[in-house]
Amino acid sequence: MTTTSEPRPVAPPVPRRSFGKWFRDKGWRHLVGWVALAFALFPVIWIISASLNPLQTLTSQTLIPDEFTLENYRELLFGDVPYTNWYINTLLIAGGASILMTFMSALAAYAFSRMRFRGRRVGLMSVLLIQMFPQVLAFVAIFLLMVQIKGVFPSIGLGTRLGLSLVYLGGALGVNTWLMKGFFDTVPKDLDESAMVDGASHHQVFFRIILPLVAPILAVVFLLSFIFLINDFVLADAVLGQGSPEDYTLSVGLFRFLNDQFNQRWGMFAAGSLMAGVPVVILFLFLQKYIVSGLTQGAVKG
Amino acid sequence: MSDRNPADGDDASTDSVSTAEGRGDQTPRPSRASAGMPTWGLVLKLLVLAAVNGAFLAGLPTMLENQWWTGLAVAAMAVILLDWAYLTKKNIPAKYLVPGTIFALAFQVVPVVYSGYISLTNSSISHRLSEQQAIDNLTSRVSNVPGTTLYQLAILDDDGELAFYLIDDTDEDFLGTTEGLEPLTDDRVETDADGDVIAVDDFVVLGLGDLADRQDEVLALEVPTDDGAIRATTFSSAAVYESLYSYDEATGLLTNNDTGVVYEPIEGQFTAADGSTLDPGWQIFIGFDNYVRVFTNDAIRGPFLQVLIWNYVFAIGSVALTFGVGLALAIALNHPGMRGQKIYRALLVIPYALPSFMTALVWAGMLNQEFGVINKLLGADIPWLRDPTLAKVSVLMVNTWLGFPYMFLVCTGALQAIPDEMKEASYVDGASPRQTFRRIVMPMLMIAVAPLLIASFAFNFNNFNVIYLLNQGGPPIEGAATPAGHTDILISYTYRLAFESGSGAQWGFASAIAVLIFLMVASVSAISFRRTRALEEIV
Repeated sequence: MTTTSEPRPVAPPVPRRSFGKWFRDKGWRHLVGWVALAFALFPVIWIISASLNPLQTLTSQTLIPDEFTLENYRELLFGDVPYTNWYINTLLIAGGASILMTFMSALAAYAFSRMRFRGRRVGLMSVLLIQMFPQVLAFVAIFLLMVQIKGVFPSIGLGTRLGLSLVYLGGALGVNTWLMKGFFDTVPKDLDESAMVDGASHHQVFFRIILPLVAPILAVVFLLSFIFLINDFVLADAVLGQGSPEDYTLSVGLFRFLNDQFNQRWGMFAAGSLMAGVPVVILFLFLQKYIVSGLTQGAVKG
Repeated sequence: MSDRNPADGDDASTDSVSTAEGRGDQTPRPSRASAGMPTWGLVLKLLVLAAVNGAFLAGLPTMLENQWWTGLAVAAMAVILLDWAYLTKKNIPAKYLVPGTIFALAFQVVPVVYSGYISLTNSSISHRLSEQQAIDNLTSRVSNVPGTTLYQLAILDDDGELAFYLIDDTDEDFLGTTEGLEPLTDDRVETDADGDVIAVDDFVVLGLGDLADRQDEVLALEVPTDDGAIRATTFSSAAVYESLYSYDEATGLLTNNDTGVVYEPIEGQFTAADGSTLDPGWQIFIGFDNYVRVFTNDAIRGPFLQVLIWNYVFAIGSVALTFGVGLALAIALNHPGMRGQKIYRALLVIPYALPSFMTALVWAGMLNQEFGVINKLLGADIPWLRDPTLAKVSVLMVNTWLGFPYMFLVCTGALQAIPDEMKEASYVDGASPRQTFRRIVMPMLMIAVAPLLIASFAFNFNNFNVIYLLNQGGPPIEGAATPAGHTDILISYTYRLAFESGSGAQWGFASAIAVLIFLMVASVSAISFRRTRALEEIV
């Protein structure tokens, strides 16, 4: 990366540049950047302001409140709304399911990448084929299945958080498996072969050699799954929507909480949204490097 | 990157357990597989297997009783697969593939296939039982008119559970519970000095004061008998109420014993000659009627086509707008020596990083006509979400806001991944910056990004959150027979058919729409696979 990555020849060095030149070279880029920032961040700033405004309503909100208060947060965390339940439910369901999905996907990717067996090609094609029928579209069927499961195994049937987690696990094999297989293929086979010669078993190779080397793709798949699951409304609503409000996830809970009462519940909603969103943003920024590389690489390979 | 994984071409079918490359010098040694297994792993494995097998056995009787063959088949298959993979030392690939496969089968493949099945039925909230369940439900109802068999009654209580102490006209006494009627022997009945009954077994006779509080409960208690049920008429007398309906298995007809009206089973519901029907109905197979309805019923077809067209406009428009904005920003902000690139990137990603369910709701508040900040800032009263056209514009705008950072990230990554040598070579050959960009950079960018654009189309095609959480698909299309709105896309339309109150939970019809979406999404995916391969071969 020593040379320029800009699609124009390197300009001859100029000792002192006029503003015009600077603007043509870089200044307009900053202008574009600022406009984009304003567009991107306006709603975020607005919601931060709303969450700190002592006047709860949408009507009374100004961009910079006259006084600041944490009352909205306090009310949400310690008041009657089961917000903390929704929060914990979301973390447990989405977090637990994402970890297991990533793990199961990695297991499958390892088999597809390293082993040769009858049905391998069929298996790989099936994974692609499955992906063509998004699970979320079958939400009516999932709802009816969960009703029936409830009759046999009440603890994983309709209205249970465990049931929702299991439903999510149905999406473990899919495009992520291909993404991972592509990444696994880039890990030299010599590594596991020499380990096998030294007497390592297949699961030792998997856990001790492959997994540490593919950590970046694990992070990507985990994060993408996690964000995907946090955002899910349809399946969460289908499985949990008719149960008790304490069992809701954040998406179902906040939607029902707001439920056209924008004006009355705006402040608390803003506080609730921020508490839900900020950790995700931090996680995202933290792992952004991995995500971008994963997305572009996976795209070519997938 | 251009040379394919050597394994893709050949499917080693000779040795299904080989973990190695299949080279001659590497004979499989299955015994080694378990030699290094850590004991905690073994214990965990056995515990999980035991739990799964146990759960299956525990659920088996209920599944048989409910005659739920789908569940039984899937559960049995899962257990067999698990045991086969983990209790044998062979089948090493299976050990890695089985967990994901089981979940994919149970919660992805089965629901998709089941969707297809439901779409061929009339399944809905009032047609969810089997025919036998519906008949049982109806024939267990009793008439509101008391019959002629009367009893003397005392009401009993055992820790909240009510029961009847009954004496018939021949002085025989009985204990009546929800289970049925049971003749009593003298030793079970306890009387006081006056000969009045005060207790039966663990049941105690309730006094009038308690009875007044629990009147509703007392009146609701039914003691089933062969031809109806015994209910309290007062606190001291009971009567046999005959079954309201009697079912004739030979003719399949249901008769109301009070009115004499005969009901015939028509389209999954008992229907009288005057057209009145009885709830619940039951689920029947109706072939392709749901699909036919979509295309022939004018009050459904019109709104459906509107939804369908908007679905494509929305998905294509979203991809075009997010890609356009994202690419422009990537070009503008990807410049060597430009200060603050990292900060821009970090901040611009925020709309994408925030959970979309919450930002959709935030925008719903901001675009609110009376209270929203947008109208306040503009000093206007614009119906952003209530006017059909403006609502579509708003939806696209919000989705651009949500999606452009993704395209920005992807384009930035793809731009940076283009080797500098290629651009330099093009300059050396005398190409202008514009030519280099159009002929070298863009084609290379598209190779990396095209599959993502198709993926993005597929995602937005079913982008439920933006549509439903922002505006619930509204404003409503007038004259539509089913709930449908001007910004509804197919999946939100399906959701409203299935779950929104007032539309009667039309699961069969909703599934038919879902199947249509499946077909559309699958065809897009099929095209994308071909296209991806074609693009890759160019490199």
